[in-house]
Amino acid sequence: MTKPASRFFIAPSLLWGLVGLAAIALSLWQAGLFRQAVFNLNGFPLLWRFVVASVHPDVSRNLLDITLRASLVTLAYAVCGTFFSVVIGAVAGVFCSEVWWLEVLQANHFRYAGFQIIRALLAFPRAIHELIWGLFFLNIWGLDPLVAVVAIAIPFGAITAKVFSEILDETPRQPLLALINSGVAPLAAFLYTLLPQAFLNLLSYSFYRFECSIRAAAVLGIIGAGGLGYEILLSLQSLRYEQLWTFFYALFFLNGCVDFASAALRTQLGCASRIDLNAHHPPSRNRQNSHRIFGLFPIAIAGVALSFWYIQPDFSKVWSPRSQQLFNQIVQASLPLDFSALPHLMPLSLETVAMSVLAIAIAAIGGLLLAFPATQNFFLLSRVLNRYRGDRLLPHVMLATARIVLLLCRAIPAPIWALVALYVLFPGILPGAVGLGLHNLGILGRLFAEVIENLEQPPLEALKAGGAPDSLVFLYGVLPLTMPRFLAYTLYRWEVCMRETVIVGLVGAGGLGRALTEQLSSFDYPSLGVTLSAFLVLTFLVDWISATVRRSLRASS
Amino acid sequence: MSSAPVISLDRVTFRFGQFVALADVSLHIGMGQRVALVGSSGAGKSTLIRLMNGTLQPTQGEIRAFGQELSQLKPQRLRQIQRQIGTIYQQLHLVDNLRVIHNVNAGHLGRWSFWKALISLVVPLDLPTATNALTQVGILEKLYERTDRLSGGQQQRVAIARVLVQDPLVILADEPISSLDPQLSRDVMELLCQICEPSNRSLVVSLHNIEFALRYCDRIIALRHGRLLFDAPTGSVSNEMIADLYRL
Amino acid sequence: MKKLLVSGFLLLSLLPLAACSNHSSPSSSANSAAQAKTFVTGAIPDQDPEKLQRLYGKLSSYLEQELGVAVSYQPVTDYTAAVTAFKVGDLDMVWFGGLTGVQARLQVPGAEALSQRDIDARFHSVLIANKNSALKPMRDAQELTNLKGRTFTFGSESSTSGRLMPQYFLQQAGVTLTDFKGQAGFSKNHDATIELVTAGTYDAGALNEQVWQKRLMEGKIDQSRVEVIWRSPEYYDYHWVINPSVKQRFGEDFPQKVQAALMKLDPTVPEQKEILELFGAEKFIATKNENYAQIEQVGREIGKIK
Repeated sequence: MTKPASRFFIAPSLLWGLVGLAAIALSLWQAGLFRQAVFNLNGFPLLWRFVVASVHPDVSRNLLDITLRASLVTLAYAVCGTFFSVVIGAVAGVFCSEVWWLEVLQANHFRYAGFQIIRALLAFPRAIHELIWGLFFLNIWGLDPLVAVVAIAIPFGAITAKVFSEILDETPRQPLLALINSGVAPLAAFLYTLLPQAFLNLLSYSFYRFECSIRAAAVLGIIGAGGLGYEILLSLQSLRYEQLWTFFYALFFLNGCVDFASAALRTQLGCASRIDLNAHHPPSRNRQNSHRIFGLFPIAIAGVALSFWYIQPDFSKVWSPRSQQLFNQIVQASLPLDFSALPHLMPLSLETVAMSVLAIAIAAIGGLLLAFPATQNFFLLSRVLNRYRGDRLLPHVMLATARIVLLLCRAIPAPIWALVALYVLFPGILPGAVGLGLHNLGILGRLFAEVIENLEQPPLEALKAGGAPDSLVFLYGVLPLTMPRFLAYTLYRWEVCMRETVIVGLVGAGGLGRALTEQLSSFDYPSLGVTLSAFLVLTFLVDWISATVRRSLRASS
Repeated sequence: MSSAPVISLDRVTFRFGQFVALADVSLHIGMGQRVALVGSSGAGKSTLIRLMNGTLQPTQGEIRAFGQELSQLKPQRLRQIQRQIGTIYQQLHLVDNLRVIHNVNAGHLGRWSFWKALISLVVPLDLPTATNALTQVGILEKLYERTDRLSGGQQQRVAIARVLVQDPLVILADEPISSLDPQLSRDVMELLCQICEPSNRSLVVSLHNIEFALRYCDRIIALRHGRLLFDAPTGSVSNEMIADLYRL
Repeated sequence: MKKLLVSGFLLLSLLPLAACSNHSSPSSSANSAAQAKTFVTGAIPDQDPEKLQRLYGKLSSYLEQELGVAVSYQPVTDYTAAVTAFKVGDLDMVWFGGLTGVQARLQVPGAEALSQRDIDARFHSVLIANKNSALKPMRDAQELTNLKGRTFTFGSESSTSGRLMPQYFLQQAGVTLTDFKGQAGFSKNHDATIELVTAGTYDAGALNEQVWQKRLMEGKIDQSRVEVIWRSPEYYDYHWVINPSVKQRFGEDFPQKVQAALMKLDPTVPEQKEILELFGAEKFIATKNENYAQIEQVGREIGKIK
């Protein structure tokens, strides 16, 4: 790294910030702002009806029955999906961890290359959104719960594998090497050292995956997989807002419970944050509590078994001749790929990237604004920032409101937000960006809040003790300490937003997702293949940019 | 003892929940004094320093700084008092992903307006004061370095430079040499004495090491289990008193 | 402790696997056995999904009585899903639109267009407009150019009456999708189109004439706010398409039996009258694949059939 030697030295974070602002401005232009009509003011009455319905949801007996059943289906999808992704993640995670190849297998160069290939291959299932997987399996297996479960399991399994392997690689290796050097068989040594050492971090991440699975299960309803997402889409299509809100509240409740339980478990385990993106997974602190977690295993196992029983996925379809035949049919129908639409895809790709940039901008700004009031320690408990407070009611109200808004934002799937945005925005990338932005705002806000809750207090105390007012403690203490984490999370979420552009495209927002919808409804598989490839390229591109920026920020930190 | 005390504690007790960290402590710090706080870990040294700089409020008793009772002050007024009390902590207390210049300039924050502080984060302001302070602590070349790239001793010097910029009447130092090797510890202690002596600043420094206390300070306050064991001029501290202090 | 951790971990990964493989195989075979005996019907979700549920519930019980086999109705979320489910074999017989019917038959060799309503042989789309938009009823297709610069919504992407034919007629008159203000919307179904245009979200929209007439008769339309501005020329639309696989499961003559049952629906029998009314038909008539050649041709022209 070059040494900053001047007063006018510009920090990389500032530089990237400016690049980010430029990207947002360009994206706004791409979205048609200032150029053409984007706001459809005539849609406000409908939007108002939608909002008003939130205070009187439909609570008829019949609908509550449907809601309960749909909630159970969504929950069961999430449980089964998480189960498979953790199993896949555990197996594949071990096989693509560096430590496994280097220390356990004591691989030579040749084998090490094999490891890198496996790792690279995992990027493909990860790059494709679960909804696309769902659509694909729908074409082979039909309307079976299996579709939803596998659609969650494949991409999430690949992500889990990546994270698991990273956790394993960052776990201290000395105990493992000590055992291997004393003649213990590598596999046994692995089981007795690395695995138990990393276990709590692995478990903590699995819970986080479960939170994600709940959201994915809701989204999959949109392609007809059933559950709350499906019911929400049907009510939205028939413009029955009272019913819609009942389902919204159910989803809200479901997400709230899972997030809460997951957070409680993590606290119990002593893992403070959901996903530590700054790439160090310190060994958990209070291990003495960890044995309690084993009491939960029978419950977890029962939960998984019950979930499978409830949705009854037909596993025989996986290898049935009929599926094989349909699979062949699709492959034949897609080949050879039809590249004639490629020139048309270029502007659409730009639109898609612009949509993801706008979405993450909305999410980051909104998340930032809501994260501080949503933090326990910031206005409420902190001795540092809030010594003399008159009344304690206001911070409590702010805390509750901010948390509810964040939860509502992330509980409702992005395509549903996009459909709502379509009332007042013309079809195009803006409603898609708004939908994605709102959904990710809820997730990002929660992650930001966690960063603030884990903020180091001593530097703030020092500033405060020197007589600095709150605003300057914020400027010189809170902001510099949290910003790098915020940026890392934002960049990570940007990658997710990019993948998710496809699902808002399905409901009529712009970009490649829109083209995909037209091709799907025309059963134009050869063009579909090309569009999906374009998507893959874009996804990898965005991942690469994000990783580069994160590396550059980390190097400077 | 000279003139009016800069900081005085009157029968101060401080409890964390059930735990009594300090019990019934009374003392006065005079202008220009160099006071060592000694005692084993958990004796209440850090708590005492946090009470003196207004970070903590006593459960019972009164703390006055420059004649003002701290717990009675409005935030605005408290901050004005706190500007005159500079605190040096262990290196944890720097914002370590900011550059050195900003951590040093943080000494100005009690006086600067919001906008000035904001602008300074982009283009550092009041450079002469900062370079002057860093020259005094001997690490001028680190001006634009990121704080977390510095060694422990260098970070401690940054903390001292911050206090120099703050230019207070009293300097409180909480274990400033606990993580340094003997040579660096000597340097830091000499530096602290140097910056206090000419301007007649008072210095209160908590120390693990009794030799350093005897060597650099003119008065020793000893704490044991949260109680004042003795408070005496360095010359009158006997070996028995010290043995008693560290007795288990 | 370590032992415990490891064994716990292994337990976690192994037990549920065993659990699910134990119970899922019998249940799934039971599942498919039940499926083999049930005749599953479906429909493109062209209207309010709740109305469809009511309508097809009644039809299922009628067919159950007539055919002597279990009949169920399986709702789907969109037009494409209906075609896919038919292709995969989840749906045995589907009430398709003109375009989706052609798409389905192209993907399932041997699938047959079975029956349609009397009105489907001479089907029309209507364009409706919000009265505040100042769009006036048009006398001939040339006036469709008035829609340029207005906001406009179709129904579903794959709807024949709500998208394919309107877009075709608009193109004939020289109006392309880029001529509208903003981008053209896709409301997903005909009822939603009526709602959106009535509310003024869009100046104008295209939909199925039969749904429009029916809602008009039911008094569900606020005529002070929305009116028909154009009626399209006629074309073939909705029809039942049956999957050839039913022949193996229910007998060679099963398609004929279903066709007969549908055509037997009698407006003089109160229960059957209700079904016909829900369909907006006097009676069902026979149809054949060849009737949809025009739709297929237009579909290829617009790009909805490859």
